[in-house]
Amino acid sequence: MQRSPSSYPIIWRVMDVLETTFAAVWPKGGGKFTPYLMLTPAIVLVGTLVVGLLYIGDSSLRVLDRSTFLFSDYWTLDNYIRALSEPFIFTVVWRSLLGAVIVTIVTLMLAFPYAYIMVRTPSSFVRKFLLIALFLPFFIGQVVRAYGWLIILGNQGIVNDVLGLVGVEPLRLLFNYPAVLFGLVQYMLPFGVLMLAPALTAIPEEIEAASGSLGASWVKTMTHIVLPMAKPGLIGAGLVVLTLSLTDFAMPAILGGGTQDFIANAIYDQFFRTSDQGFGSTLALLLIALGSILVGIIFAVFGAGTLALDGSRK
Amino acid sequence: MPIDKTFNRRQLLKTTATVGAAGVFVASAPSILRAAEPDKPSEIIVRAWGGPWVEALKNGVSDRFTAETGIRVIHDLTEDNEIQPKVWAAVAQGRTPPIHINWDTTTNATKSALRGVCEDLSDLSNIPGTTDLAKPVGVDGYPIVNTYGYVYVLAYRPSAFPDGPPKSYHDLLDPKFKGRLAFYNDGIGFHFPAQVAGGGSLDGIPDAMDPAWEFITKMKDQNPLLGEDPDFVTWFQNGEIDAACTISTNALGAKKNGVDIAWTVPDEGAKFDTDGLWIPKGHSEGDLYWSKAYINSALTKESQQIWLDGLGLPGVVPGLTPPPGMAGDPAYPTKPEDFERLIRISGQIQVENESDWFSKFKTIMQG
Repeated sequence: MQRSPSSYPIIWRVMDVLETTFAAVWPKGGGKFTPYLMLTPAIVLVGTLVVGLLYIGDSSLRVLDRSTFLFSDYWTLDNYIRALSEPFIFTVVWRSLLGAVIVTIVTLMLAFPYAYIMVRTPSSFVRKFLLIALFLPFFIGQVVRAYGWLIILGNQGIVNDVLGLVGVEPLRLLFNYPAVLFGLVQYMLPFGVLMLAPALTAIPEEIEAASGSLGASWVKTMTHIVLPMAKPGLIGAGLVVLTLSLTDFAMPAILGGGTQDFIANAIYDQFFRTSDQGFGSTLALLLIALGSILVGIIFAVFGAGTLALDGSRK
Repeated sequence: MPIDKTFNRRQLLKTTATVGAAGVFVASAPSILRAAEPDKPSEIIVRAWGGPWVEALKNGVSDRFTAETGIRVIHDLTEDNEIQPKVWAAVAQGRTPPIHINWDTTTNATKSALRGVCEDLSDLSNIPGTTDLAKPVGVDGYPIVNTYGYVYVLAYRPSAFPDGPPKSYHDLLDPKFKGRLAFYNDGIGFHFPAQVAGGGSLDGIPDAMDPAWEFITKMKDQNPLLGEDPDFVTWFQNGEIDAACTISTNALGAKKNGVDIAWTVPDEGAKFDTDGLWIPKGHSEGDLYWSKAYINSALTKESQQIWLDGLGLPGVVPGLTPPPGMAGDPAYPTKPEDFERLIRISGQIQVENESDWFSKFKTIMQG
């Protein structure tokens, strides 16, 4: 009996359409290359980004003439020399880097127990509560969340109101580096939990039970069994949180009170405040390079295989 | 002879009013194009600042323009700094710019003029009736028309200064104001008074500005907040700050919202600057004509009066009546002696050096 085409998996039907289209365009056929057509959207997307990067690279090599506000028609490394010699840029890069590392460590420390309890709890109520608590802020944009903190932590905010009840004078809780990091951790926590939860789910509970039955304490089970086995999730979550924090714009802009700029804020200033897109492009490329180097270091230390990216399918 | 029933007194008045309104508008249309009026676009897009700024423009210029011409005016509230690269890119690529008219700071607009993306507005019929303030400095002709001036005042919370208004920026160095001050995040408006407060002279701008940077370094120890126009109003409203160097319109806006706020021009003086209107190149002949008509109508006494009543700022047309409470206010200079304590630096010097000043200010404040 012949099966109805609609009963085939959807991926087969997509392949059929692709093969038919490909055969119409190239009647001789592409043979074994036909499946690679599936990569076309990704290649187009990445290709577009690469073209954009090439334009940014070109801009970064041109300097602004302030008598005409046009860019030089020749290439020069002046913008790069300026970026590497300006103390302000060094300050901003260091602040961004340090902030991203601190936020990543704190986020992982908070996300791990959250994800662990969410995955392991026998109570469906607790699991649902944790899921809702995780996703509710996730649906609220970063800017709205940052403004929420302005209301909560401001001089006339809820926290200072409560402190006022016990006679404490209003404290400046906003517009400083800790406030930016606090906002970033709160923003990144759902990303961390979401990246960790699948990794923890993949660890069979029986292994933990076996560890316990062999005499290991809960702490030993955690440090010798769960944490090592959760390493792919920790590395993945760390990568996401680190790169997102490093490139963040809104939290430093809103919670930093204008004095805690990250690299993205400096790039914005060059593009939109001083009209110097050349220097802005230079900073953008430096940010990309910095992020890539960090990811490269993580891969070098932990290995790409940590994220199951070694190509083996065991 | 009795007036015919089909043409009674009411209709006579109505017709007269219509002819009169048309006459006012025709008079405000660009003179060289008055003879041949091209087709009207259904709408024109004017970039504007939000809040009290756009409200004032709408009441004073846009609504009147729509009533006179039937052309709808859309206000695009994209920040002036953010629209600039979009306009530049559109002109460079031969595309139609995203806006018809840019309401811009004169310094920003001068950058666009130097880049050659502004239409010439010299033929606007209302320009001869404006004061010298309307003419942009450092560029040929009228690629921009300045429409009013404004002062970067020292706004303060009177309750924080029980002995009277602060007389000098040095007063803000009192430790009790630590974390209670605010400036623009690029320092605009504060660079020049800081030069004086630091013991330097205005002649030292732009080549000898160390006194400014030294004073700003002292001010940095007060941990001031740095922000944009809306931030100042919010910070005053939320009790976050006691004093700020800001445009008087923001202080006026906060005052209208019930915030206890006043402003002054300190001994060091205050920066005086202008905003203007300009049209990016790349529009059709018809759109250009009606965009010019819009700017021309913004230069009539009636429009200026309503628009600038909303902003609390002095215009470029003689004979305007100061808004209530603003007569004699240091933020509303009209007579030569009013300008004696205000600092005006040529637009060309500002355009050429602004980036360095911003960068230096940020280096100090973010260090």
